Amino acid sequence: MAMLDTGDIRLHVQRLTPRDGRPATATAVLIHGLLTDSLASYYFTVAPAFAASGIDVIMYDLRGHGRSGRPDSGYTVDRQVDDLDALLDRLAVTGPVHLVGNSFGGTVAFGYAARRPERVASISVIESEPATQAWAAKLGGILGRVVSQLAHNEADALAWITANRSQNTARLAKGAARLARTTTIARDIPASTVLTDDQIRSVSCPVLAVYGGDSDLAEQAQWLESLLPDCRTVVVPGHEHSVLVEASGVVGGHILDLIHGRQAVLG
Amino acid sequence: MNTGQPAADEESVLADISGMLAKLLDEYGLDDIEIGMRTTFNRDLELESIDLVTLAGLLEERYGGRVNFAEFLADMEFDEIIELTVGRLVEHVVQSLKAAEAS
Repeated sequence: MAMLDTGDIRLHVQRLTPRDGRPATATAVLIHGLLTDSLASYYFTVAPAFAASGIDVIMYDLRGHGRSGRPDSGYTVDRQVDDLDALLDRLAVTGPVHLVGNSFGGTVAFGYAARRPERVASISVIESEPATQAWAAKLGGILGRVVSQLAHNEADALAWITANRSQNTARLAKGAARLARTTTIARDIPASTVLTDDQIRSVSCPVLAVYGGDSDLAEQAQWLESLLPDCRTVVVPGHEHSVLVEASGVVGGHILDLIHGRQAVLG
Repeated sequence: MNTGQPAADEESVLADISGMLAKLLDEYGLDDIEIGMRTTFNRDLELESIDLVTLAGLLEERYGGRVNFAEFLADMEFDEIIELTVGRLVEHVVQSLKAAEAS
């Protein structure tokens, strides 16, 4: 297990490189989602195929998640963007990187591209949106409900999940409950600095946005395309929020097309 | 755990992998779980997906590039991963080691 200390936080990092010592043609950084997610969602889905196609693949657990450190506070999008910036510095990644973000990970990717445009070659987001006022309000509601249900009756909530969903989900829910209960994450995320429409428009690199056809977020597709100068959206029918894990072949294929196409232009 | 050159037979590989899993479970304070070929990662050992990433690292330490756990799982459907047994991984490792020996 590779732990990387940024000076502020210990982050769990995994890297998959092209086989046989071939030099990588591009670097991709894969950012996972909130609470029940970790870098494993990439490690066992799209990451091996990305590496096999010649990409240096960097995955890390966001603070509070997976094997990374779980500080009491500091969970805003801005802090996650700080972590990503420090991570790339520590790994001595110099060229622009292709960011891939699932759900909240995509929100971090947009935040990073708005702050450090020169470091980003492209963005692929899955079931995601940039941090806006509406996003902050929605996340505040969701996280508030999670915390209050857990506070009222964590044992019952977990028992219900175990009975009705898989054991895996219950185990993950336990970890998410601990994160929500013992840190300020539920308060921090809705308090993140949001991006203005102009800041979102300033993200000029190619953007791919993938949504599940049955997800509430699919309606974001049109709005993002209208706002971003270079954005393509793909809706995968028959899937909801877990489209990355459930349809990883399709989603990964679209992302690889974007990365290799962009890399051909950048040379 | 056997620390010598890895042998490509079921018994040695099961012993290796049991040792790795014992190390992982020890972190959770679970050090007395018996591990056999039919043990499931999810239901019996209650491992999370991030634990499997750690296991992938331990497998790589032991077997080098001859075994690729990430690719093995990436080829599976989600339900298959949930049902994955220690035995299935042992068979995969034995096959991979034999293939590496033959090439």
